[in-house]
Parts: sequence; structure tokens; C-alpha cells
Amino acid sequence: MTAHALQNPVQWVDLRVVGAIWQREVKSYLRDRSQIFGGVSRTVLWLVILGFGLGATLREIEGYTYTQYILPGVMVLNVLFAAMQSAFALVYDRRHGLLRQILVSPAPLFSVTLGKLMGGASAAVIQGSIPLLFAPLIGVHLTVMGVLTAWAVMFAMGFALTGLGVVVATRIKGLRGFGSISNGVIQPLYFLSGSIFPLKGIVGGVGFLDIPQSLRDQLRDHGIYAIGGGWVVELPVWLETIVRLNPISYQIDLMRHAMLGFHQLPLGLGVLVTIACPAIALIAAAICLQRPGDR
Amino acid sequence: MSAAPILEALGLSKRFKDTLAVTDVSLTLPAGESLALIGPNGAGKSTTLAMLTTAQHPDSGTARVDGHDVVHAARAARGVLGVLFQDPALDASMTARETLALHAALHGIPRRKTPQHVAQALREAGLGDAADRSIHGFSGGMKRRLELARALMHGPRLLVLDEPTLGLDPQGRLDLWARINALRTGGMSVLMTTHVLDEADSFDRVGIMEGGRLVALDTPGALKSRFAGSVDATLEDVFFHLTGRALRDAGQPMRPTLIRRLA
Repeated sequence: MTAHALQNPVQWVDLRVVGAIWQREVKSYLRDRSQIFGGVSRTVLWLVILGFGLGATLREIEGYTYTQYILPGVMVLNVLFAAMQSAFALVYDRRHGLLRQILVSPAPLFSVTLGKLMGGASAAVIQGSIPLLFAPLIGVHLTVMGVLTAWAVMFAMGFALTGLGVVVATRIKGLRGFGSISNGVIQPLYFLSGSIFPLKGIVGGVGFLDIPQSLRDQLRDHGIYAIGGGWVVELPVWLETIVRLNPISYQIDLMRHAMLGFHQLPLGLGVLVTIACPAIALIAAAICLQRPGDR
Repeated sequence: MSAAPILEALGLSKRFKDTLAVTDVSLTLPAGESLALIGPNGAGKSTTLAMLTTAQHPDSGTARVDGHDVVHAARAARGVLGVLFQDPALDASMTARETLALHAALHGIPRRKTPQHVAQALREAGLGDAADRSIHGFSGGMKRRLELARALMHGPRLLVLDEPTLGLDPQGRLDLWARINALRTGGMSVLMTTHVLDEADSFDRVGIMEGGRLVALDTPGALKSRFAGSVDATLEDVFFHLTGRALRDAGQPMRPTLIRRLA
């Protein structure tokens, strides 16, 4: 009974607690059909409608169709939403009870945090895998290694983002505030990550070859260089700087490398970011979730 | 009264910004006895309970639960506490069985013994048939029974009840109260806050809080003799004598139970 929990009062990681909280998070996610629906509708909206819509004009990026190019980005968008939703559940738990019940139990909160973040990460992997089902339809040939790498990156990303969400959730008093703030977190992280446009690269557009020389000269004045069947796009320095500072950029880049064989950022740095962010997020979330008696 | 105390608090105080929520509260609860804390809204009952259950640190003073300091040995103290919160503290998407299994994990009940503990708790709560149903469809009484079963599942030595019958219909209240009385008869130590003075009247001792202070603590009979002049007086007479009749928490909705009492 309780004596078991008290045998090692300084124990931080209780795998039983980690597993129980993880299980609860995953079950909650799977029972919430609206989240699955959101994952499917986002995929259709971004991959099919935006991908094929914009792809009709922007025919390719570095040899990939626009839909293929944004596939990892759409997966990440689903990861972002799932992780934030998991963190949002903490606000609900705090308001409606479960967190209070945990606070008065002898369970180490570090283990509770670890279980929570692993649960959020698992939900993120499931949600992020929905666009993968569309991969064959858009001509992306999946390999076992590619999918395993994508899952690993999504798990790490979901873990870190759930941690970030927990930090936000512990600072928010009401249910409404979290929605606004999470949108304020999700959108910049997503749009400033190279998810829907490259840092630089050859981009092919419809009718590009018909552009008269005078217009090519004007484009060059704006940093757009016409080469062969496309033009070279280079982001403004300030925007590229922000993209390079965004950890999500490196994780999308890793996934793009795993699935398409194309990357734009140093892969080693990507691996480092993917390992470091979850560790930092776990520590930050655990600190924010501490109860008075743990300090 | 000679039993070793299950709960001891000495000089507990807690301030939230400019508000002194609890001031110099001292109390002792011998093992096997029951103590009800009553007082108007904002009197400091919930903050006192939060400190005694390790959810809040006192600014000053000390408290021990079964000998464990609530600040320095908080984890050990939590292990001997069973807590029933004022509002249902349940995840409505889970089933009763899952709720109890999660509690077992949080309290370190061995994995192999968990199904047996869960089944027993469900049976005692009269929820055997509803074990695998979502809590979402439970009545208020079923939720309360499940919460009580959860609070008792790990074998606590002190049961803490924060307005346990709030929001229950008369049948639900009667059922829960019968369960609480059975626990008390069986020797369980109980600390409770309530606005229902009839409930407090049946406890071994009653503490009355006002303005963050514990202004009286004694048996119901002794309180009636001392503050209402007769053992035949009601606890309500004592309550109004010590706390006045003025409404509290201006601008905030009052709890129906208290409104009924003041009407």
C-alpha cells in the first residue's frame, strides 16, 4: 500500500506513475474524436487543398512538388496542435480535479510530469502520422527508416511542445486564455520554421520561361535569380535569422531529410536540437508543476 | 482523548498578498476521533485544509499528520491522508475502474494487488455494475461514492472531507453520511469542513473559524453550554453567536446550504 511509495522518499522517477499518467493521456486522446477529426481536416486543408491549390502555380521546390515539400510541415502542424491540446488538458485537470488529486498523493511530480509529456508526445505521434497516410497519394515513397525517423522526431517534438504547453498552462488561470496563447505559440512556430517555404532554393513557377528579360532584370533587383526552369528564392536576412533560431525548423528539416532526402540546415544541429529540447522542456515543466511541499 | 494525535497543528498562518487568510491556528486531533471545522465563507477553512493536506505551505507554524511534518515530510504525510474535495475531482472521460487504478499507481499500491483493491473499492462503493462506464454518465451521488472509495483505497489513517455533501440530493447525502459514520464507528480519524451544521453536530469536536482564526474548539455540547448558555441550544446558535449574522463575501454568490441556514 502506501508503504511502498514511502520506501524511497527521494525517488524522482517512479515508472509505475509514469506509465499510469502516460496511459491516461493516451486514452483521453483516443477517446476525444474531435482531435482525430481535427488532425484529418487539417491534413486535408493543408496538404490537399493548399498543397494542390498553391502547387498548381508553384509547381516545384528543389525538384519536389509543393505538396511533397509541405508534407513534413503538415505533420508538424498536427504535432503542434496535439501537444498543445494535451497541455491544455492540464488547465482542465487543474480546474476540474485530477491535478488536485495528484497533488495530495505521494507520487513524485517529476514522474507525473514525465508521464504527462510522454502522453502528449504519443498523442502527437499519432496525430502527426495522419498526413503520412496521404504520402502514397502525393508520390512520396515511404521507407521503414524514413517513417521511424519521422516518428522519433515527432515524439521528441511533441514531448518538448507539451512541456512548453505545461509551462504556459501553469501560468494561465482561465480556460479561455490558454487558447489565445497557444495559438500565439503554434502559429509563429509553424510559419517561421520553413514548413511552407524554403530558406533558399530553386523554385519553379508556371509560365516562368515566358517571363521577358526586362522582368527577369527587375526580379534580380529584388534578389530573385532566374535559373533554368525556376528561380532562386532567398529569404530576407531577418526572416532567415528567425527561422534559424526556431528549433522547429531543425526538426522539420530532419523529417524532410528522412522522408524526401532533402535538407537545408545542418543535420547534426538538427539531431542536437531534437535531443536537447525535450530535456529542457522536461526540466522547465517539472519546475512549473512543483507543489509547495516539493520545494 | 489519550490516543496519540493523528493531526497536530501549531500556530499555522498563511497570507495571500494583502489578505491574511489564516492566523495562528492550532489544533489537535487524537487518532480515531472526528473534528468538524465550520465557519462563514472566507473564514479560512479551505486554506487551513490546504496546509494540512500539504497543498499549501504555511507561512509560519507547523503541522504534523501521523507524526509526519506537512512541509519537511510532505510525501510521507500524503501517504496517510485520504482526501475528498469539495467539488468532484474526477476525469469524466475515464471509467470508475480506470480512476481507481490510476489512484493505486499514484499511491504505490503494488501492480499485482491493484485489481483486487480496485474490485473491493468498487464493491464497497456499490459501483460494481458501473465499473467500466464513463464517469460522464454518473449521478452526483455515484461520483461522490467513487471519490470516497478512492480516498480510502490506499488505507489512509486520516480522512479529510471538504464539504462532502455539497450538491448532493437528500438520498445521496443520506447514503454518503451513512458511509462516513460507518468509517468513524470503525475508528477512522476524520477532519471535515462543512456548512451543514447538523453534520458538524454529530462529530466528536467542532472548531469554529472566523476571520482566519480558530475562535472556538470543543465538543458540540461544551460549545453550546459555553456560548449559547445551554446544552439544549443548537450549534447554529453557537455559530451565529461567534460569527454574527452579517452576510459574507459581498458580491460573490453564497453557497445554497449557507443561504438556507441564514434564511
